[in-house]
Amino acid sequence: MKHQAGVGFEDNGAGSALVLEIKGNSLDDGPGIRSVVFFKGCPLDCVWCHNPESKKRGYELSFDAGLCVACGACLGECPEKALSRKARGFIRRERCTLCFRCAGACPSGALSRVGRNMSIDDIMEKVRRDIPFYKTSGGGVTLSGGEPTVYMDFLSSLASSLKKEKIHTLLETCGLFDMNRFSEKVYPHLDQIYFDIKFFDDALHRKYCGASNRTILENFTKLHDMLLAGGIPVLPRTPLVPGITDGEKNISAIAAFLRSRNVKKAALLAYNPLWHGKNDKIGVVNRYSKEKAMRSFMKQERVDACREIFRAAGIELVQAE
Amino acid sequence: MNSCTAVSETARGRGATNVMVHLLLKLMAGLYNRRASLREYLRWDGGWINFSIGVETEQGTVRQGITFCDGRVTVHPFVPEGAEAVLVFMDEAAVRNMVSSPPNELFNLLMKNRVVPRGSIAYLQLFNFLLSVLLKKKHIKMLRKASKKERSAKIACSGSAVPAKKATYLKAGARDNGVKYLEDAYLSGYSLEDFPRLKEFLDIHFTVRPALCHERPLLLTEWFLENGFEKDAEGNAQVPELRQARAFRYLMEKRKPIIRKNDLLAGTTTTKEIGVVLYPDSHGTMIWGELFTTPYRLLNPYDIDAETVEVLHKKVFPFWLRRNIREAVRDREAYPLCQQLDERFAVYFLWKTVALSHTIVDYPKILSLGTAGIMKEIDSALEKTTAKDREKRDLLVAMKITFQGINAYAANLAVQASVESEAEKDPVRKNELERLAAVCRRVPFQPARTLDEAVNALWIVWVGIHMENTNAGFSLGRLDQWLQPYFEADMKKLKSAAAREEYTRHALELIGCFYMRCTDHLPLVPDIGNYLFGGSSSDQAITLGGVTPDGRDAVNDMTYIFLKVTEMLKIRDPNVNARYHNGINSEAYLRRLAEVNLNTTATPSIHNDEAVMASLAEFKYPAEHLRDWSATGCVEPTLSGRHIGHTNCMMFNMVAALEMAMNNGRHPLMRWDVGPQTGSADKGDFGTFEKFYRAFCAQFNFLAGQACSYNNMLGRAHQVIRPTPFLSGMIDGCMESGLDVTKGGARYNSSGTACIGLADVTDSLMAIKKLVFDDKKISFSEMLRAVRRNFRDDAALLALIKNRVPLFGSGSPEALDMANRVIEFAHDCFGNNTNYRGGKYTAGFWSMSNHVAFGNLTGALPSGRLAGKPFTPGLTPEAHASKSLLDNIRDVSLLKVENMNNNIAFNVKVVPAPGDSHEAAVEHIHSYAKSYIELGGMQVQFNVVSSAVLRDAMANPDQYRDLLVRISGYNAYFVTLNRDMQLELIERAEFGV
Repeated sequence: MKHQAGVGFEDNGAGSALVLEIKGNSLDDGPGIRSVVFFKGCPLDCVWCHNPESKKRGYELSFDAGLCVACGACLGECPEKALSRKARGFIRRERCTLCFRCAGACPSGALSRVGRNMSIDDIMEKVRRDIPFYKTSGGGVTLSGGEPTVYMDFLSSLASSLKKEKIHTLLETCGLFDMNRFSEKVYPHLDQIYFDIKFFDDALHRKYCGASNRTILENFTKLHDMLLAGGIPVLPRTPLVPGITDGEKNISAIAAFLRSRNVKKAALLAYNPLWHGKNDKIGVVNRYSKEKAMRSFMKQERVDACREIFRAAGIELVQAE
Repeated sequence: MNSCTAVSETARGRGATNVMVHLLLKLMAGLYNRRASLREYLRWDGGWINFSIGVETEQGTVRQGITFCDGRVTVHPFVPEGAEAVLVFMDEAAVRNMVSSPPNELFNLLMKNRVVPRGSIAYLQLFNFLLSVLLKKKHIKMLRKASKKERSAKIACSGSAVPAKKATYLKAGARDNGVKYLEDAYLSGYSLEDFPRLKEFLDIHFTVRPALCHERPLLLTEWFLENGFEKDAEGNAQVPELRQARAFRYLMEKRKPIIRKNDLLAGTTTTKEIGVVLYPDSHGTMIWGELFTTPYRLLNPYDIDAETVEVLHKKVFPFWLRRNIREAVRDREAYPLCQQLDERFAVYFLWKTVALSHTIVDYPKILSLGTAGIMKEIDSALEKTTAKDREKRDLLVAMKITFQGINAYAANLAVQASVESEAEKDPVRKNELERLAAVCRRVPFQPARTLDEAVNALWIVWVGIHMENTNAGFSLGRLDQWLQPYFEADMKKLKSAAAREEYTRHALELIGCFYMRCTDHLPLVPDIGNYLFGGSSSDQAITLGGVTPDGRDAVNDMTYIFLKVTEMLKIRDPNVNARYHNGINSEAYLRRLAEVNLNTTATPSIHNDEAVMASLAEFKYPAEHLRDWSATGCVEPTLSGRHIGHTNCMMFNMVAALEMAMNNGRHPLMRWDVGPQTGSADKGDFGTFEKFYRAFCAQFNFLAGQACSYNNMLGRAHQVIRPTPFLSGMIDGCMESGLDVTKGGARYNSSGTACIGLADVTDSLMAIKKLVFDDKKISFSEMLRAVRRNFRDDAALLALIKNRVPLFGSGSPEALDMANRVIEFAHDCFGNNTNYRGGKYTAGFWSMSNHVAFGNLTGALPSGRLAGKPFTPGLTPEAHASKSLLDNIRDVSLLKVENMNNNIAFNVKVVPAPGDSHEAAVEHIHSYAKSYIELGGMQVQFNVVSSAVLRDAMANPDQYRDLLVRISGYNAYFVTLNRDMQLELIERAEFGV
């Protein structure tokens, strides 16, 4: 898979990776208390993506109007005159060269650079501090994104470093990666995988996620087979996105696919609409964002109906979070 | 009473306000002079009350006085020389404000230093009383109106209703070694529904309004009037210990023996269902001015009947005008600076004006020997003395007299139980009363043999303790350890599983009754106290778990019985503290602590046993005594039965030292250049951060020195006004040393402080260091200008501080170092002071509710905290320090325990996700607590409640009468708190679990 490196970011292979943030004390990304490393960059382009700022593999400039104290400190800093109170979202993105001088001058953090180039040591230093919490709670580190496998070599070193320190490591993946490299470099160091399956139908996957799902389904099958051969647990997860993935046809097809692979457990993730503001901050326009279904919480009946389909297929639903 | 001397004239005031005050005083004088019924208030059973009060402004524009002399009231256009008290107003506006404000707002004027009292507070209270005789109708009307206004203000802050969850109970997975009889140690099969008696008591607890009780002060005053206070009837100087002992015996013999309807324990602290105990020898007269209005005050009102008003004013209070701890210091030490500072509220508050309590008696000794055994010990000690051991002999005799007193009370209770059992129709209750009569005939005189006897003995002694000394922070100690032998003795006699199950039920009910008994009294809180320490009860700490004196796992059957009762009753007091010894106590026990905390929302507070003991290493206590420590009042360690640590002798505002360092020794709110001149930031005196830090230390040192001197003066006043021979008889060391505990007779002595505002001080120092000195973003004087303007027009600077300054609790090593530096300094600074009993001062970092009160009296800070906002509770990091709770937990756990020898209060507000199971929530809380302890953290208290629920409770207090919250060290019912405290709880950082 080839990715275009973004402006201002040097891809150093195994040496460093672009990280959105490391979130401590997460109780929703695997067992126990966990630290979640969110990588920046993703091969997919899902329209409902809750972390739109994690898609692009490169730095971005974010403006959070809620934090701005209107001090004007940034205005004089910008050599391109790209900042203006008149501009929608404050930044004239076409002029911005991502020099981030404005972010340096901003006292409130309203203007900020999205993405941090981090080395293995940087990440280890941060997550190591919480080892006592992992230990007492049965938690560990979750590698998420974006898509962690975008940085396959780096991911390999990171996962092996975590393994050395006996930290439980869970990978959350969209499933689109080179299986050979993955199974050789990363898989041996992992303890658990959460694997997203969004559509069964390839055309729909191309339409809503910007890529074919054939590799994804193949990869899942392989990982599941490895599990059956004594490998690590792999949990398939399907996000229920109203009007997009939650249709009976799609859910039934996924359930049938899982059943055909002899999968016993899966997770369904109910949609929440609390992400739209993030698009504005990085100046991204998402036409789906305007749809009413995308702006409301899912109806419980709809969730229940989807769950019923899985149950009928003999698949146990677990809290995947 | 003092004689009325001719009043000599001093300078006069001028202007309209001066004339207004003169006319108002004239009006008052006229009414008292003309109406015989009013004039009656000017005398008590001991004769006319003679005194003068002055009123003036700082500028001298107002100067008026009023003199009460042999029933005549005279007004003077000047402040009478030698006036007992003078009210000094900041300016004329403050005078006019005072005249038109309802009584509750007067406290605000006082606290904010807009009016400053000079001289006797007891006389001021008397003057207030005489004013309220005239104004009570108006005041009550004003209070009703204010109450309505407050109600709507609270509704305005509130949110929408939140459905309550039903409690679920886990079963114990494993059994601790010390658990001998309980099959499921978690006792998951029991709930409150199984105990109708306890349900009934709980209902009383939540619905009956506390009432002021005059029994104690009346009986004591009677005795002192008859037998003399300073001198006896023959004119010889009284020996304070003997005098107090005889008065105590008289009180115990004469007081009404009451058995609450349906109770399994005999005896009550007062004659009321829930009584407020009055101690005019300490702070009792503080309520004088409020006697008429106290049922109408906004927060925690008290009932009072006409008889009590009459008794207190005519028979009690006047006797104590000068015979109380505070006024004794004022008279003996000529109104020292350290006392003046205390009475300005903003820098420190000395609890010793109220009590020398906060300790734990040797209960195991009382239970195993009985008072008979202790009296025998006293006799043999007496035999060894000679005539020249006068002081020792007096104390030993005094101790003995007090035990006679407690025995007499128990005997009266036994008679009462017999009388009631004879009249009782219900056979079950009749039987209970007969058994109670038998129990009270035996204990506390004889050693206890059964759990019923032991618990009744505990309670009767507890009543006695509170008859001798103020109910503020006396603690119960390691009751699970001390009661287990009686539990086992009872169990051993039972042959069948059914009988053992029935006995377990009885043990739960008995301990439940004991908890509810402990709620039968409340400390006297004058209305100003509602703003300083709102919602606090007497804080009778019980300590569970930990290790035995020889270092083994101490968790036993009774530990779990206490935990179950704590879980079912969910009451604020007794304040339950659990010791967890990592590696020795079981995971099952810690998990149970997490579950009880979850189900009660706020208790127990969890202590890391090893860390607490390590914090006391410098004292080199023998290991077997150290391992016997118990939490006292809020969280502070006391070596049970051997130690007078008065662990809450003062609440100390560390932020005041910072404010004074920023203002060259001047305290802004007090408008007082009281501290040393340590340099002016405005004039550029601080070239480096270190220079400024030294200025902070110098101010801290000055304030701490003053606070310790005042504490020592108050301590010496206790020796004269109220030594405590009953208590001394139950604390190891006094019999050998022959000294009362107030004189250092205990085996171990220390005084404990609560240093408040650690996070606020650390963050402010970090802001100054980073922005002014390291990064040179702004000058010190610019920073101070912004602080003085409360960051008005300085949004960018405020944002810069909040974003760029690493805070304590964020995981920043630099901020952590700074916090460690501050606590080390505080520890050493207090440790260098010696108390009047020869002990050291210790430093604690918890705040009761004074982080709100002190915050209210403090200007904006370099940390970005705005003027008047609360500090963080205890040493809890600022809410925005980090998004991750783990950073908070880690930083607090890395504070050096050797500098926190009076413990800490780390508050964590956690909220289970709506979809989470009970098991998952317990597991998460357990994990946080366990990790924190493994990292070396000392104490933690979880508030398991969301801001949404708290907001709903603000609007609908009636539906949340039992919503329990941790303030900082103690528990309170949320709905009893003042609005600032409620908002502080709501604004605390909230983390999901």
